[in-house]
Amino acid sequence: MKRRVVITECSAITPIGYNKDDIIQSLKQGRSGVKPLRDDGLLTEFIHSHVFGTVDYPIDYQFKRLYTKTMGPVAYYACQVAKDILERAGLSQDFISSGRLGVAFSSTHGSPTVQREIYKTFFSNLKSEFSSIGAVDYLKSMVHTTAVNITRMFGITGRVVASSTACTTSSQSIGFGYEMVKYGMQDAMICGGADEYDTTTVAVFDNLLACSVAFNDTPECTPRPFDTKRDGLVVGEGAGAVLLEEYESAKKRGAPILAEVIGFACNNNGGDLILPNLEGITATLKIALDDAGITPGDVDFISAHATATKMGDVIEAQAIADVYGNAPLVTGLKSYMGHTMGSCGAIETILTLYMMEKGFIAPTLNLDTVDERCAMINHTRKLTSIDTKIAAIQNFAFGGVNTCLLIKNGNSSAD
Amino acid sequence: MQRNEIQSKILTILEDLFEFEKPGLNDNLRDDHGFDSIDAIELLGEIEKILGFSLTRAEKEKAMTIRTINDILDYIEAIESERNK
Repeated sequence: MKRRVVITECSAITPIGYNKDDIIQSLKQGRSGVKPLRDDGLLTEFIHSHVFGTVDYPIDYQFKRLYTKTMGPVAYYACQVAKDILERAGLSQDFISSGRLGVAFSSTHGSPTVQREIYKTFFSNLKSEFSSIGAVDYLKSMVHTTAVNITRMFGITGRVVASSTACTTSSQSIGFGYEMVKYGMQDAMICGGADEYDTTTVAVFDNLLACSVAFNDTPECTPRPFDTKRDGLVVGEGAGAVLLEEYESAKKRGAPILAEVIGFACNNNGGDLILPNLEGITATLKIALDDAGITPGDVDFISAHATATKMGDVIEAQAIADVYGNAPLVTGLKSYMGHTMGSCGAIETILTLYMMEKGFIAPTLNLDTVDERCAMINHTRKLTSIDTKIAAIQNFAFGGVNTCLLIKNGNSSAD
Repeated sequence: MQRNEIQSKILTILEDLFEFEKPGLNDNLRDDHGFDSIDAIELLGEIEKILGFSLTRAEKEKAMTIRTINDILDYIEAIESERNK
């Protein structure tokens, strides 16, 4: 059984805005969400990179303690975007709790904020009379905390997939959710990812010399995907969720068809856990096209992973050129927000949906001079009006995991 | 510790941390306030802070029969009394 799978709702909390209008305005106006790295009182002074993709606006959470008692900051993000899409979709509680709706959602490593508090206990209060580790700290910090707090809050009883694969976490969520619905294991899936403010992630990339350090005084000027002056990635925070549904049932209930997921690929480089791999990435892009049954010429737009690292961008540009030539427009959306880690695949998919709906493609921010080693592809250099029919969303992760999602504009998905 | 003092501390904890609304001493914790197994474990942590020492496994298991706020107060008094023997 192979069924068509459509995206009917989406919501994202990003460094460039929460609701659709704010995000679209940021993309159209070239507004960056990269700000100075907030002081955590622990690691910040030792980190060379002082920039961060920051969510600095208030979010009106209205969660009861019944739910918040098992939630760290990352679960607040996750439950908020899940709540948004469920409220807008208006699915019946009978369906939500039928076992036919599942959740594919995760984060890079649970809640680092809660984990930090646990470690503080280990390293500073070992002789305390009683433990200061909370009974629910594990539930708040475990790697599938986002997924199961969503199931708990909304009474979802279907499958739970919590693929925690760093930068491909939420692109895998969408891809695996797509396969669940496509092959009939579930009728609908809430898919996405979230990551909270966290300096340990910045420190990890900083140690690997992969973080941007040259623009600490001008955060909005970094990251700079494909630019000659790029000097590394900028870690960020955020969340994104999409609702996937089987096409016929979505159509029957009159749901808006934002896009159809027509292809997904996920593979591994089978070797180095850090360095990007041209062969592996090229294979991913081809497998996705095969899965969708389309040719490279059918794809109008590519949301590149484009973290702005020295080698990553070059390898990705080569892979795109090998598979697509220089036809589709290519944008590195991280230029607006930094690298939102476990949520980047979902957020970049949602931004692509917004641009598809509004008929434009945003340029890669800070791309002033294209690195000649990346110049063989069709970079989006200015705000471009275009009716995107099919888009590719590419993400690659530490551990050699590569993903590619192919989505077809909802306006083009009618029978 | 006087029962009044314990009662005041427990009511503050239930209202501030557990978001109980108008807690009554004989309310059923689960039925009237949605108190569940996670809350029970969290409450034991708070009781340890009130008492100033860690509860043993056996002492914690005795808490599993608690149903009301009065039961909580009885429990704390019993633990304190046992330890002071």
